[in-house]
Amino acid sequence: MLRYILRRTGQMVVVVFGVVTLVFFLLRIASGDPARMMNPPGQQEELVQLTREKIGTDRPLMVQYWDYLVGLPQGDLGTSFHGGHPVLDELLKALPNTAMLAVTTILFSSAVALILGIGAALRANGAFDRVVLVYVSVALATPSFWLAIVLVLIFAAKLDWLPAIDMEGPKSFVLPVITLAVMLTPVLIRTIRQSFLETLSDDHIRAARARGIPERRVILVHGLKVAALPLVTLIGLQLGMILAGSYVVENIFNWPGIGKLTLDAVAGRNFPMIQGGVLVAALAFVIVNFLVDLAYAALDPRIRISAK
Amino acid sequence: MTDLATGGISPEPVTDAAPARSHMVRRLLKHRTFVIGVIGLTIIVLIALGAPLLAPHDPLTQDLANSLAPPFWGEGGSFDHPLGTDTLGRDVASRLMYGARNSLVIAFFAVLLASVLGLAAGLSAGFSRGWLDSVLMRLGDIQLAFPFILLAIVVLGVITDRNAVHLILVLGIPTWILYARVVRSRVLAEREKDYVLAAKSIGASRMRQMRRYVLPSVWMVVLVIAMLDFGFVIMVEATLSFLGFGLTPPTPSWGSILAEGRRNMIIAPWLAILPGLAIMVTVLAINITADGAADVLDPKLKMSIFRRLAQKKPANGTSTDLESEDAGSTRSEPAATKDEVEPPTLLEVRDLSVEFPLEDKVVKAVRHVSFDVHREQTLGIIGETGSGKSVLASSIIQLIDSPGRVTNGEVLFEGRDVTRIGDNEVAQLRGTKIGMIFQNPASSLNPVLSIGSQMVETIRQHQKVSPADARDMASQALLDVGIGDPQGILSQYPFQLSGGMNQRVMIALAMLAQPDLLIADEPSSALDVTTQAQVLERLRDITRQHQTSLILITHDIALVAEFADEILVMYAGQVCEVGPVRSVIDDTKHPYTKALLDSVPRAEIETGTRLQVIPGELPDPTALPPGCPFADRCGSMMNICREVNPSQVRVGPDHDVACHLWSSNKDEEKV
Repeated sequence: MLRYILRRTGQMVVVVFGVVTLVFFLLRIASGDPARMMNPPGQQEELVQLTREKIGTDRPLMVQYWDYLVGLPQGDLGTSFHGGHPVLDELLKALPNTAMLAVTTILFSSAVALILGIGAALRANGAFDRVVLVYVSVALATPSFWLAIVLVLIFAAKLDWLPAIDMEGPKSFVLPVITLAVMLTPVLIRTIRQSFLETLSDDHIRAARARGIPERRVILVHGLKVAALPLVTLIGLQLGMILAGSYVVENIFNWPGIGKLTLDAVAGRNFPMIQGGVLVAALAFVIVNFLVDLAYAALDPRIRISAK
Repeated sequence: MTDLATGGISPEPVTDAAPARSHMVRRLLKHRTFVIGVIGLTIIVLIALGAPLLAPHDPLTQDLANSLAPPFWGEGGSFDHPLGTDTLGRDVASRLMYGARNSLVIAFFAVLLASVLGLAAGLSAGFSRGWLDSVLMRLGDIQLAFPFILLAIVVLGVITDRNAVHLILVLGIPTWILYARVVRSRVLAEREKDYVLAAKSIGASRMRQMRRYVLPSVWMVVLVIAMLDFGFVIMVEATLSFLGFGLTPPTPSWGSILAEGRRNMIIAPWLAILPGLAIMVTVLAINITADGAADVLDPKLKMSIFRRLAQKKPANGTSTDLESEDAGSTRSEPAATKDEVEPPTLLEVRDLSVEFPLEDKVVKAVRHVSFDVHREQTLGIIGETGSGKSVLASSIIQLIDSPGRVTNGEVLFEGRDVTRIGDNEVAQLRGTKIGMIFQNPASSLNPVLSIGSQMVETIRQHQKVSPADARDMASQALLDVGIGDPQGILSQYPFQLSGGMNQRVMIALAMLAQPDLLIADEPSSALDVTTQAQVLERLRDITRQHQTSLILITHDIALVAEFADEILVMYAGQVCEVGPVRSVIDDTKHPYTKALLDSVPRAEIETGTRLQVIPGELPDPTALPPGCPFADRCGSMMNICREVNPSQVRVGPDHDVACHLWSSNKDEEKV
């Protein structure tokens, strides 16, 4: 077990290192000179050079990279080009907001997906199943940014039930969470429906019925324990979708999270902040997937015991 | 060709490719959602390509005097700008058409790039299987370890002057691994197939093997993934444009029109809503086309369940149709009256029929079957795979797989018809009065619950006892079936136990409530020979001990001869011969029973006699003959056998047979 954790940790370090390196160089290859962008157009070259010296982009590329790498383990993610705050502080301020949004979305989406997926599987090809499958198709085709705007138009502008932007109180979670859930649920529902259909035709379900276990228990205990396992893995894999979605949703709802921070940094060519945002996303993704794998092993004795 | 169409073993798949392909086209055209999707997609593509001809205005021409004009249905709208204008007075309809063009072209080339990269990587990985394979797949693992779309967004965002090539690269490159993985596994599977191995052995070059044998199987998979990917890429492209990271303005794209519309969404909501609808309709059309194509072209990718269901039926023992069976025969009458001196009857099955209505036909799995099970007796039901014996067993506890149902007759357990009492009452019988054990012990236990928790659950379901007491009872029950270390087994999971051990657990589980009837459906077929004997003896001991009646279902007539009191021989869903075991074995009447007996080694047969095999196979379940279903394989076939299905006649004490050789109207001469 310890060896497994060590090996996975090693893999995570490699992936995060790779992502950080890639983003560091790609940004500098793809972008123009951030110092020039920070100055008004037509600014004198000397003043632009001063900005370069201030933000450190005058040094050779490899020196910048080396400094960045050395700083990382010490928690020094550099200083924001704009405002001069340490990147880490800004990220730590934004992280809980994105985390709350993501966790609420995952819990809400999983609950919805379990109910709809199981309901659909129990009466496969029935009326409810068809309705659910239509929802899945339509939701898959719905652009999240568009849905967010339509929701704001209806529930904030027209009906004035919910706040349109900003994170203030539980009510402000409703529209962003619904937007992200519509993006996330189709995949979850499909998987649960499929996995439940397969499980329901398993021999052990039949055998449990033959032992006189009541149908409700057969479905909710014997079926669910087996059929919900793929959901755990799927949520880990879908975290990338949620993070990408939070870029859009935080932008539209003016949500003070990592996504908005990163996108604002992209607009201002704020390299250290972009790198910080991508680093947080990479860490979140690999750590959550590691935890998901551990959780899977804990839930499935076939893996838990053979791993010992 | 997909191996479903050709069976995967055809020596030369190319020869039957043409009919198979036209067959697929026909099935595609019958798939309603696919057709709707294709039509929708075609219209959208035509509009996009025809934008220069169809668009009422130039998408870039500004008309500031006429900004934010409403669409034609709005107040003050006109058909000059059917969908209104934006802030700069540009025609929205024209911009949407040109936007469609940009979105579709970028997405198309991104998908093309991804599929070509993926196909190349997958093919070379699958064919080389050496270092190239490991390098490529490791690269894919790394790529999957992080959602690269996040990286793509920020990198695209800092590019100052974005063009279509940037977008195509960013959208296309990250998805190559999806194609590569599937293609690689298909290549690996395909090259092990007989016809490819054969081609290799006659010296076909690698390129030729690839082109002629592997590519035809792979291209459909790639096509299906590409279509699913297409919808996703359009969505991502729109999202990028919305965030301002798409094509540099003023080039129109759906996402950027929407982003502009957002600024004026209160006074001009159509500006934000229309482009979203365009994206939605397009992606929906692509997705349902892809789904439909996946259903038909590559069922393996998606429809694994339907395949399972479709295969399950015949495997569970079903056969089809026999509409004219009652013509001229009086087969539905139960075979005479029973002697009343026998032990009282526990279970009476009367004229039972079970059918599975499928799409265009009805599979009649069990046809007019009647038999009795007496208290403390063992009935052996014997038949080939597909004879309907398992369905018959399931119908006794009303656990017939969907969509099967009892269409005729009754199942009287202690005088009550279980086919007519409610679900709750049947559930109460299960596990208390009637127990059942199944063929595959390992898969009949829940894989993620411990043996102990499954046993305790079952005990507490039927008796009011504490968990600790239930555990003691479970442990005693395991001792009863000969498990030496019950405490250890209770905390283990099914996958940790051997097949024989699992089957003992199943027996213990089924016997927990000491049922009056135990149904054992091929309890030993999945076990090795030595374990088989142990398990069956244990089964016999424990049923005798608890005075439980047993229905032993098997395809092994020797087993029945040894363990059963009565025997029932089934063929194609109906009873051939039924009676006391000695009478049936020693005085065999039905040619099928004879053939079964001749096909097993027995001590009393002289050495040197060749074992007989039964020529032919079960009748095609979709085209059963009107006469006796065994006629084609029968050595004693007469003319009448082809025309009339024989009814059961009494040939000895409690011994009935359904064969024209023994029926009264034997005036037909032998053929």
